[in-house]
Amino acid sequence: MDTSREDVGISIRSALLDKGTKQKFSLFVLIIISVTFIFIEKIETKPLNHIRSFIKDTIYRGAFVASIPSKGFSSVSDYIEEHVNLYNNYSQLKKENEEIKNTISKTDFLKLENTQLRRLIEEQVSSNSNLVSARVMLDKQSPYLNSFIINSGSNKGIKNGMAVLDGKNFIGRIVDVNFFSSRVLLVSDLNSKIPVMIEPSAHHAILSGRGTSKPTLDYLPEKHTIQDDNKVYTSGKEGIFSPGIPIGKVKIENDFITVQLFSDLSQITFININLGTIE
Amino acid sequence: MAHIYKQSKLKFFELLPVLLLFLISLSGNSILNLKFFSINIHYILVYFWILRQPRILGYGFVFLSGIISDVVFGLPFGVNALSLLIIAAVAAYVRNVTVRITLINDWISFIPALLLANFIYFFSLYFSNYSIDYSHLFVNSIFTFIFYPVLWGIFSLILNLTKS
Repeated sequence: MDTSREDVGISIRSALLDKGTKQKFSLFVLIIISVTFIFIEKIETKPLNHIRSFIKDTIYRGAFVASIPSKGFSSVSDYIEEHVNLYNNYSQLKKENEEIKNTISKTDFLKLENTQLRRLIEEQVSSNSNLVSARVMLDKQSPYLNSFIINSGSNKGIKNGMAVLDGKNFIGRIVDVNFFSSRVLLVSDLNSKIPVMIEPSAHHAILSGRGTSKPTLDYLPEKHTIQDDNKVYTSGKEGIFSPGIPIGKVKIENDFITVQLFSDLSQITFININLGTIE
Repeated sequence: MAHIYKQSKLKFFELLPVLLLFLISLSGNSILNLKFFSINIHYILVYFWILRQPRILGYGFVFLSGIISDVVFGLPFGVNALSLLIIAAVAAYVRNVTVRITLINDWISFIPALLLANFIYFFSLYFSNYSIDYSHLFVNSIFTFIFYPVLWGIFSLILNLTKS
């Protein structure tokens, strides 16, 4: 019995401590380094952040080059798929165009009314947002995290927590800034929690990502009056984002209040980052 | 001439696992995500080569590819590296205690490797305050295990080419 236990001990020791002829580190040393890295990740100091930024920037460039073949392959398949679906897309666009034409006149009237009402309550009518554009460098999303890398970082004044827009629609926020690149955490990610307001009921809620394309609305008041197609905007609560950035519309599915986003998160090439409001 | 050709062919097949390791880490394809299932190619690659030919795939390379995966996927530094090293450790242990190499032996011993690596992965992410879809992690583990013999066959073919 003792001999067999000793044998197991020797095998484990040998597996962890033995180095091959060409190997510089044993498994044990590398495991210790990895654990140290995980602990160091929690420490936020300027020199460490600079080193992290440098490593990440370098790897992102390498990853961008390495993903060119797979990107090329997927763009060819997208191209073929687009051609196959050409007629369906055309019919759908035609229908949408007619709907848009009908709503434009309605919108113009609402705009006018909105401006008049805002003047009435002496609110600032227009706020000049300071936007910076960037290109999506890597959209290879982890199966567990919904995020992508953009080609602008602290060199363009980007900071953690800034709102990221696709056109005028909110799609996520900056969670990691390097010198020449940043990571955008999409609203669909499990770690994403965004304070929002629902129109027309003006209820406040938290938009929580679920890892799918449709995030859900949490912390709604008990007697809410939310219905399908209600619009969801950022609330600007706690000063995290500017208020009134459109996100999507409500879809109630099997007791879940989900939000259908205005932007298709899988089709984003260029984005805008809201650097804040210019006084 | 024929000798040089043979030598370079052998060298290429020897380098292939390392190239594959870095290519899948850099391009973010270490976890193959298909419609209904997902497979962790990274785990299978590391487990197979550390078990069968550790001379070709060094621990340093495994660690580096883990760090690259962490950066590409936006995870804290060291999470993937640690779970890959755990896979490598189990493979090294199995190599020490087994005499005969068969698919069934490899396949069964891959279960504790997967369980340990995923436990470490879960624990490191929990420690780093990251939420992930754990049901996806479970499905991924199941399909990684099921898919192991397919990649075992392909890698065995490459392994034979490094010897011939």
